[in-house]
Amino acid sequence: MTRLYAGLAAPLLAAALLAPAPVAAQEGPGPVAAIVSQQAGAVTLVDVRAARRLAEIKTPRVPAALAATPDGRTLYVTHPDLGLVSRIDVAARRVETSFPVGKEPFGIAVIEDGRALLVSDWSADALIRLDAATGRETARAAIGRSPASLVVEPRSGRAYVADRESNQISVVDIPTMRRVAVVPTGKAPFALALSPDGGELYVANVQSNDLSIVETATTREVARIRIGLMPYGVAVSADGATVAVTNQQSGKVALLDRATRKVIGKARTGDYPEGAAITTDGRLVVANWADDSLCLIVLSEPPSCRERVPVATGPRNITILAP
Amino acid sequence: MLQRLALAFGLLLLGPLLATAHGPTPQRADETLAIAAPPDAVWKLVSGFGTIGDWHPLVQKVAVTGGEAAGAERVLTLAKGEITEGLDEVDTGAKRLSYRLLKENPEALPVSFYTATIEVKPAGDGSEVAWSARFYRADTTNEPPEDRNDEAAVAAMTDFIKQGLEGLKAKAAGK
Repeated sequence: MTRLYAGLAAPLLAAALLAPAPVAAQEGPGPVAAIVSQQAGAVTLVDVRAARRLAEIKTPRVPAALAATPDGRTLYVTHPDLGLVSRIDVAARRVETSFPVGKEPFGIAVIEDGRALLVSDWSADALIRLDAATGRETARAAIGRSPASLVVEPRSGRAYVADRESNQISVVDIPTMRRVAVVPTGKAPFALALSPDGGELYVANVQSNDLSIVETATTREVARIRIGLMPYGVAVSADGATVAVTNQQSGKVALLDRATRKVIGKARTGDYPEGAAITTDGRLVVANWADDSLCLIVLSEPPSCRERVPVATGPRNITILAP
Repeated sequence: MLQRLALAFGLLLLGPLLATAHGPTPQRADETLAIAAPPDAVWKLVSGFGTIGDWHPLVQKVAVTGGEAAGAERVLTLAKGEITEGLDEVDTGAKRLSYRLLKENPEALPVSFYTATIEVKPAGDGSEVAWSARFYRADTTNEPPEDRNDEAAVAAMTDFIKQGLEGLKAKAAGK
């Protein structure tokens, strides 16, 4: 009986055994990734565990970056070319409203439990703080040239912004909206990620093919690691052990062991990979910009795409929604 | 693929684009061509970083430094001027070569930056060559003139790739 059942359910069982999460957790819906596709003007929602598309939400033209509220119910998307930020009701699968923000809003983060937003302005060289309900600007900090991605460390109340054309990170104190430090990095820093404990910031330097590691306590670059051609996206696993970096010009993702700071694996993901994200159950999601697909990698397995999921044209950035 | 390009054009016509520096909106061109020659023979032509002038009809002259390995640079003389490209990666096993623009010249080619990849795959008795590029328009200010906007960049890159593939096909056939 058991044998027969195992035979019939072999593929399913094999998948369950290979997954790092407990079997009980496999039964409910898995973590949901939201992927912004710039050319299509859409956000695709994907159940990462099931490798299944859940929805495609149309947005105004050329969306670039996105951020989710802590409850996962609301997404905010920037449109640099339109000078807009859109708010998406995730459950309703639609854009609620779009409001004008600065000149070219690019990177975005949600703060204060979803009541406020931080947005980098690519052409105004500023970090802008907004009221999330109204879109009204409440403060701004002058930072470096062409600021791209930003991340927030809630315990210290600091935002870290990649000033791409200034080859530096700006560190901004959020309560006062003042820049408190500048950290020189490699050439053309673009994507950022923080370790779960907030102690280290990982900076993908597009033009110098390396990854800067910044110690947040001292705001100093403590290491710069050769990581591969055109690092364009970076993500850290929930246990802090692994840092994933996409290498756009090689069509690969590199996996870095955080403790030893060595590259421990590489996988081919597809053509022109950009954004990356890692779910709490250890699944790496990479957006292939030119393939219009996601590559799904299970970090506990040898690195390769276990599944590919088609998404809307020109996928760039990814965020994981809280369940 | 044609649908993709059509879509790209369609989106571009919807409104004026605002961008600076490299601008946040990259463009793409992506062409493939079947060539009736073995992959090894086609790859031999493609991987000759300094000999693209032997088969690309738009390349009048090539000056290469650094040979055929990653880090090599080549100056291509086109009809209206020179551009400089750098070789990023040569994957002999996968027959894939990646390079990027190092020195722009909007007169010669109306783009400000690009990365590109050429890959040779077996297909039936011959080969299929896939050539793709990711790039930004030449004038990245708020209101680019017609000859330096996104459409001009897409048209020029697509033409450069298509003519290159046709040239490669002719050379592989021994013409």
